[in-house]
Amino acid sequence: MRIKFKLSRILWIAFVYLVLSIFALVYLTPFIRSFIASFMTWEQASRFPPEWIPSPFTFENYLKLFRLELFTRWILNSALYAGIIVVGNILFASMAGYAFARLRFPGRDALFSALLALLMIPVFVTIVPNYIIVYRLGLIDNLFGLALLSLVNAASIFLMRQYYLSLPQEVFDAARLDGCGPIKAFFYIALPLGKPAIGAVAVYQFLGAWNAFLGPLVFLRTPENFTLPVGLSFAFQRSMWTEYTPIIAGSLVAAAPTILLFIVLNKYLIRGIVISAGKG
Amino acid sequence: MAKPNNKTNFFSHINSFFKQKYNQLMTMKRSREALSGLLLVSIAVAFNMFFGYFAALFAVYLSFFKWDYLGPMQFAGLYNYQVLFNDLVRGFNGAPYFLAPFFTGLRNILLYTAIVVPTQTILAMILAAFANQKIKGVQFYKVSYFLPAVTCPVIVSLIFIWLFMKYGFINYIFQFIAPGFAPDWINDKNYLLYAIAIVAIWGTSGHFMVSFLAAMQSIPRDIYEAAMLDGAGSIRRFIYITVPMLKPMIIYVVVMGLIGTLQMFDLAWVMAGPSGGPGGSGYTMALDIYREAFINLRPGVAAAKSMFLFSLIFISTYIFQRKFKVMPR
Repeated sequence: MRIKFKLSRILWIAFVYLVLSIFALVYLTPFIRSFIASFMTWEQASRFPPEWIPSPFTFENYLKLFRLELFTRWILNSALYAGIIVVGNILFASMAGYAFARLRFPGRDALFSALLALLMIPVFVTIVPNYIIVYRLGLIDNLFGLALLSLVNAASIFLMRQYYLSLPQEVFDAARLDGCGPIKAFFYIALPLGKPAIGAVAVYQFLGAWNAFLGPLVFLRTPENFTLPVGLSFAFQRSMWTEYTPIIAGSLVAAAPTILLFIVLNKYLIRGIVISAGKG
Repeated sequence: MAKPNNKTNFFSHINSFFKQKYNQLMTMKRSREALSGLLLVSIAVAFNMFFGYFAALFAVYLSFFKWDYLGPMQFAGLYNYQVLFNDLVRGFNGAPYFLAPFFTGLRNILLYTAIVVPTQTILAMILAAFANQKIKGVQFYKVSYFLPAVTCPVIVSLIFIWLFMKYGFINYIFQFIAPGFAPDWINDKNYLLYAIAIVAIWGTSGHFMVSFLAAMQSIPRDIYEAAMLDGAGSIRRFIYITVPMLKPMIIYVVVMGLIGTLQMFDLAWVMAGPSGGPGGSGYTMALDIYREAFINLRPGVAAAKSMFLFSLIFISTYIFQRKFKVMPR
């Protein structure tokens, strides 16, 4: 009886591993396949049935990318755009999150609900008016003009507020008794204490800005100002290269920061989603 | 307040004096607190009010005007909505894609949503059920399922265009599953939308898996133990305990899925192209709004169409939540 139970348990675990591994193949193969193909000539990468060992092994696809001056521009633009968004969100969302969580002021709850309700409005409703606004500001085709739109996101404010609400009130009371004003308390207490949530905001906003497509597509006009996703889709639609392998290599270069970031931080990121989904 | 007419009330007099001072101080502090609070939220609120609410109201306003960005705005009443309505009527009567682009986008997106939302929800639940087992190395599997979700949709589409080629990797796999099945996915109008749907499911199911994992881990263990004592196997435990307990999360995932799929843009832009691919088979409402606003230069019509999209998202998510009686947020 006991042996039978053990056997069925082992069979069950083997089955679980089998299913998990099949799914892992489904989700990982496109990455592995394109990583290998990025070292192939297009002639070899398009062969049928597919081949797995690059011969000749070539860096030509990557060299072709970087020979195109635009490509390095796109990387820098993406980095700059993501940097502005991350800094803006860290600063303004932690300020607002702290105030919404810990200070009392008239209209606080109404303002906060109004911010949350914004998450319901689809981006396609606001994109045309925002295009006109940014155009009037003379900031079309300018990364800074584009960055204004997502400089402080309602989702980041929500995350920061939830975090500050979870801290014990005593910390802030103690500061108040010591005569520390609310603004001083923000810089000396809330900001240092908020590090875990600030880290989460930074990572999510980095992912969002690095992967953003619609905004950069609409607000950036000349190829020199494109970010990576817009640039690569532009390169693909204009057939900048006769082969497809440089596009694959470019895609991998563009995806590398997010993939590496995720592999390093996977435990925190998955937990972050767990927290926001559980609270939500 | 106690009156200081008695010696024994001396302390209460002092007490009330300090209370008064304290209250004065508190009102000062409170107004200072209110001022600082308003100051701290001001930037965040100003940006969101301007680029969120002002823009949304402007969109409503714009939808009643005829304009080409340059000349004067002309009040046009319901003209823009008329354009939208005529498009839908023409499409309904069987007009081809170039005469009824919005209808084509609507029809495609409804089919796409009907495929993607149920599939990704069920798949995410299955993935979570397997990834929730207490076995070694499970974190590796979670990471690999989630990896597509952190990768840019445009990048994913570019890679998949290559995998979906006539003599590409996916058709190579299909040789073993369904011999003889080798469509030219991207260039065949009968398969393009399915190709996009497959990419979307591949890209988002891992994200929702994590949501389900969170919900599964909060289900109390003793319910399972009780069921185990009653002799329920793991599959029956999943169907009779896990799924009902997950109901709020299922609603959350479906609502999020609806919001995402109904305004799908990135994947279609890359895989089908801005004009929607062969026969408009990959055209979406979002692509059509973009086209009206930035190619046809009719911001008024684009605004009217975006109102339609907003109502569609709002009504469908509202009905769904109402029907299942649990508010996810």
